[in-house]
Amino acid sequence: MNADEFLDITDVVCPMTFVKTKVVLEDLDDGQILELRLNDGEPIQNLPRSLKDDGHKILELANNDDGTFTILVEKGGLT
Amino acid sequence: MVIKVNGENLNLEKSLNIAELLMAVKAAQPEYVTVQLNGEFVERDDFPKVFVNDGDEIEFLYFMGGGQRD
Amino acid sequence: MIKLANEQLERYSRQIILSQVGGKGQKKILSSKVLIIGTGGLGSPAAMYLAAAGVGHIGLVDYDTVDLSNLQRQIIHQTCDVGRAKIESGRETINALNPDVQVHTYDEQVTAANIRDIIGDLDYDFIIDGTDNFPAKFLINDACVLMRKPFSHAGIIRFQGQTITYVPGESPCYRCVFNEPPPKDAVPTCRQAGVLGVMGGVIGTIQATEALKYILGVGELLTGYLLTYDALTMTFRKIRVPHNRRCKICGEQPTITELVDYEQPTCDFKR
Repeated sequence: MNADEFLDITDVVCPMTFVKTKVVLEDLDDGQILELRLNDGEPIQNLPRSLKDDGHKILELANNDDGTFTILVEKGGLT
Repeated sequence: MVIKVNGENLNLEKSLNIAELLMAVKAAQPEYVTVQLNGEFVERDDFPKVFVNDGDEIEFLYFMGGGQRD
Repeated sequence: MIKLANEQLERYSRQIILSQVGGKGQKKILSSKVLIIGTGGLGSPAAMYLAAAGVGHIGLVDYDTVDLSNLQRQIIHQTCDVGRAKIESGRETINALNPDVQVHTYDEQVTAANIRDIIGDLDYDFIIDGTDNFPAKFLINDACVLMRKPFSHAGIIRFQGQTITYVPGESPCYRCVFNEPPPKDAVPTCRQAGVLGVMGGVIGTIQATEALKYILGVGELLTGYLLTYDALTMTFRKIRVPHNRRCKICGEQPTITELVDYEQPTCDFKR
């Protein structure tokens, strides 16, 4: 699946992970896909749920086996 | 009869008009109070003419200016 | 439109994550202009919280200097500011708190002659009445009704406070509830009756809350409601007030069509 936008948030901690993701998603259209690279730990534990609460759909979640994860999010996919 | 004044129940033996009610509750500066009866404003000229009934809700609204200007 | 810098994402992160705010809401706040008339007990906390939230332009109107007795509640000023112009002290506090905010100062008392120009200077989005006297409060109400500007009215005394929000065309104005100014000295002032400092904090912050909700377009405003607060009994009451058909300025047959000064400004020795 090809993403419309890519965001690497391995350089920040929560809640900045969510803040940065939220702001990038705002600029996408509904249905567009954002690819996220995020750290293991708090980010992977918190972010998927926060995104779902905001109405976005997690399409894929993959462990990169290097301490990071990749998530594909569809904007507004749950609304 | 029981009426509500500023959210609190008040027992009255007989109906009072607004002017009498203001005296009864010892309202501060009754000449400058805004009165609502069941949500509607009562004109100052009508204070002696409007009587309360059982279940009525009255609000006394007071000026509050704050400040220290003399 | 603004692009939020990383530092701004961090600074405002705690409100950006709110679904009612987001980056879009934060940009609205950063683009907004709020005028605060009176940097005293009410205006101080209102200005500080609006600055903290990132309101892009804050206007401060006050012609007074900081007095020692102000410091019990006018927390935008500090001990070292005694004797200084309140607008300068206010500007400094805001700048230190948040450099994103541009502060516009008006070293004046609002009068019928200048209030339209002050409000029109930046065409402010929302006005906060932080004044301490009834002639000013009625003037602000009248100006906002005539200029179709939303505003928050408030007053505090002893252990009490109250506030109402006006949005043009949608709600009763201050005059709907309190028809005209009381005679001079008829109603006690804080100087005569006293006021617990925190009263300004609670009510002034509610005024700032209303401004932010208006800017963001969220929640229910205190339009058509007089919120009263009694700190001793810890009671808030939200009293529904209707539009007054007989209101002299926004009623069916308005008699007030121009702004008026209700009394001569008192000679102020502090100036």
